[in-house]
Amino acid sequence: MSELENPNENIYSLTKDEEEILKPKKDFFIKGVLIFGGLFFLFSLYELNIDYANLLEGTGAFFAMLIDMFPPNISEWAYVLPAAIESLQVAILGTVIAVVISLVLAFLAAENLAPSLWVSRIVKGFATLMRVIPTIIWALIFIVAVGLGPLPGVLAIAVHSLGMLIKVFAQSVEEMDEGKIEALKASGAGWIQIIAQAVIPTVLTALMSWTILRLEIDIGESTILGLVGAGGIGWELMRAMRSYDFNSALFITMVIFIMIFSVEMLSNRLKLKV
Amino acid sequence: MLNKWKRVIALEGTKDIRRHKRLQTMLIILLVIGLTVWSAIGTDFSVYEVFSGVGLISNFLFLDLLPPDVTTSGSLLGAILETLYMGFVGMVVGALIALILSFLAAGTTTPHPIIQVVVRAFTSIIRNIPGLIWALILVASYGIGVTVGTLSLILGSVGFLTRVFADTLEEIDTGKIEALNATGSSYLQVLAQGVFPQFIPGFVAWSLYNLELNIRASTIIGMVGGGGIGFAIQKGIKLFQYKEVSMAIILVLVLILSTEFLTSKIRERII
Amino acid sequence: MNPILQIENLDKVYPDGTVALSNINFSVYPGEFVVVIGPSGAGKSTLLRCMNRLIEPTNGNVIFKDKKINQASARQVKQIRREIGMVFQNFNLIDRLTVLNNVLHGRLGYTNTIKGSLGIFSKKDIAEAEEILDRVGLKKQKYKRADELSGGQMQRVGISRALAQRPRLILADEPIASLDPASSKNIMDHIYNICTEDKITAIVNLHQVEVAIKYATRIIGIQNGEVIFDGQPSQLTDRIIDEIYHNRKPPLVHAQ
Ligand SMILES: Nc1ncnc2c1ncn2[C@@H]1O[C@H](COP(=O)(O)OP(=O)(O)OP(=O)(O)O)[C@@H](O)[C@H]1O
Ligand SMILES: [Mg+2]
Repeated sequence: MSELENPNENIYSLTKDEEEILKPKKDFFIKGVLIFGGLFFLFSLYELNIDYANLLEGTGAFFAMLIDMFPPNISEWAYVLPAAIESLQVAILGTVIAVVISLVLAFLAAENLAPSLWVSRIVKGFATLMRVIPTIIWALIFIVAVGLGPLPGVLAIAVHSLGMLIKVFAQSVEEMDEGKIEALKASGAGWIQIIAQAVIPTVLTALMSWTILRLEIDIGESTILGLVGAGGIGWELMRAMRSYDFNSALFITMVIFIMIFSVEMLSNRLKLKV
Repeated sequence: MLNKWKRVIALEGTKDIRRHKRLQTMLIILLVIGLTVWSAIGTDFSVYEVFSGVGLISNFLFLDLLPPDVTTSGSLLGAILETLYMGFVGMVVGALIALILSFLAAGTTTPHPIIQVVVRAFTSIIRNIPGLIWALILVASYGIGVTVGTLSLILGSVGFLTRVFADTLEEIDTGKIEALNATGSSYLQVLAQGVFPQFIPGFVAWSLYNLELNIRASTIIGMVGGGGIGFAIQKGIKLFQYKEVSMAIILVLVLILSTEFLTSKIRERII
Repeated sequence: MNPILQIENLDKVYPDGTVALSNINFSVYPGEFVVVIGPSGAGKSTLLRCMNRLIEPTNGNVIFKDKKINQASARQVKQIRREIGMVFQNFNLIDRLTVLNNVLHGRLGYTNTIKGSLGIFSKKDIAEAEEILDRVGLKKQKYKRADELSGGQMQRVGISRALAQRPRLILADEPIASLDPASSKNIMDHIYNICTEDKITAIVNLHQVEVAIKYATRIIGIQNGEVIFDGQPSQLTDRIIDEIYHNRKPPLVHAQ
């Protein structure tokens, strides 16, 4: 830095004290990440080849449409509200199935409880596969297999959530104090007993808050499943947009917003309690 | 004597609390079971149908989907890269917008409480409408293509990041801000020199997490016309080219896992 | 000699109705080393923060060098604050920045907004900040991150930041309450010596009566938001100390 070149400082610079001053630690890693990120951003923007004239035009059209959307058309509530309830049901059922199955599989996936390391690895591998494929792609797969309707939606949510829940439940179990398990092992308790007496009471709060979080996510996901034909309110929105019925579309969007918003509020409350 | 009575009363008290707790737990369990049954009836869910579907599903998985058609990977590569670019651009633009909005939305840094309420309400609306639905609405104005995908990812990022950034800003030690105010610094100087350095670790960590979310979201945004690999998957299913679909899914898997790996490495180094 | 700071009929009532200060009156003259003592919750921190208007007074005047801070515009308040350094119990340094950078924050009020925001300071300011660090014995640590220092070192940085403002008045709110006895003595010595050498007036809040007696040229005792003693350390008898702490012994003892 330039202040070290200050001539007044040179008088001291030969003394031992001066040598011990640590130079400022420049973090090249952060700088590197930022520079690379900036370059990659420009490159991505270039590769996306966005049509900026269309962007401008579309933005105009978008605001015109927004104005067009008002007032919301609530006349079709008799179709919309049951569809919203169906979405909610799809989410609840899917999450419950995922929680129940993951409660068993997570104990097989946790390294400190699994019968062998191989079992743990295989279960975790499957969990990764289930978690990484998005819910809506699962829905597409299940629709091909079992047909349209809420069932593929339930299965899609169950499978995707199962992947995530196994991962986080197993993590909570692995973070557990080893001593508690050992104490029970020493007293001759079996696998099931250890889980029931030591593991579940310890990780219960963590499991509950992950479950609440997952339900929150799943209610969001269940509203979009209809877009591919897996039941619920998303299908109604798709239909309204396709037929350029923007006033109905606004009403449906508002219902979706209220659903997700109230779940967010509710889960914030619950999180405080847990 | 008196002490003994006190103890008895205290014991009665804990018994009451325990009974109360047990009652509460029972109620919650009943509620959950009730909701589940209600949902199962509402969605016509039957275990029988699921099990009879197992044969169909495994047929579909192992005969139709697998093995993936590797020869299509060349044409799919463009689509998956497009997905990556959309996710990244969405994160960067979203983070920059959220950075400004969050300073207006956090109680510790907002110039005026009314601005805070307005920004919070605005971002809450954006956040609580799923990205795919934004895409569906935007397609009507912008037409099919990456513009829609990128815009809806930007919206999603702004909604999410503004909230978590604002929460991070509200956790900042106000004593330090007081200290800078006491030196006679201006509002902008206090933000830049006092708030921002404390904010950086949260900013980086949340932006990286948002990148993961965006990459996931951008794989599906194509299904309603947002470009990228989602479009290829949707098309493949419509045309019954399932082996191409499974190849696309494998590419999605690779992209998501490598993003997760990279972001976790960067997070470890920075924080 | 004119007072450097005058407090006139100062009241502070918090929005929740707590009366933290009521009818405070005193003047501080250049060169004084005033120590404010009083039990926990007496209103010491509130009083200090009313002086540079980090807290808005409810009634009364705070006059610094003939300017009424309580009636000043936002701009004028900033200009007045530049001349008043402040030292805190929790140091309040910006952890991730270097020691030198933290000291330079004392110059922000004198620096152009944009330059200051970007952390660009003049050579003169940097040289002066280094000089100050040398004075408190932290020259070697200038490029360390602030959170790598010990508590005593952090407080010396806090003092340096205040000194970088070239203040006429230093306000210190329990500067040694988070430190061990050895560091406490070191910090009090630094504050006292620097203020004497540079002719800076000081107002220091303290919990410990013995420390107050050792350094103060004048002691102000407050209780329940009112001044109940104002005089030389030698005038502070055991009876008065008892009265200030109102049979509620000093908090440290009280806690046991
Ligand atoms: N922001 C606030 N809102 C409401 N009441 C407050 C607030 N800050 C302080 N008080 C109250 O004002 C009174 C004086 O507080 P102050 O912090 O000035 O006391 P203090 O003498 O500095 O105490 P300590 O020695 O514990 O630091 C206390 O009763 C306190 O509870
Ligand atoms: Mg105090």
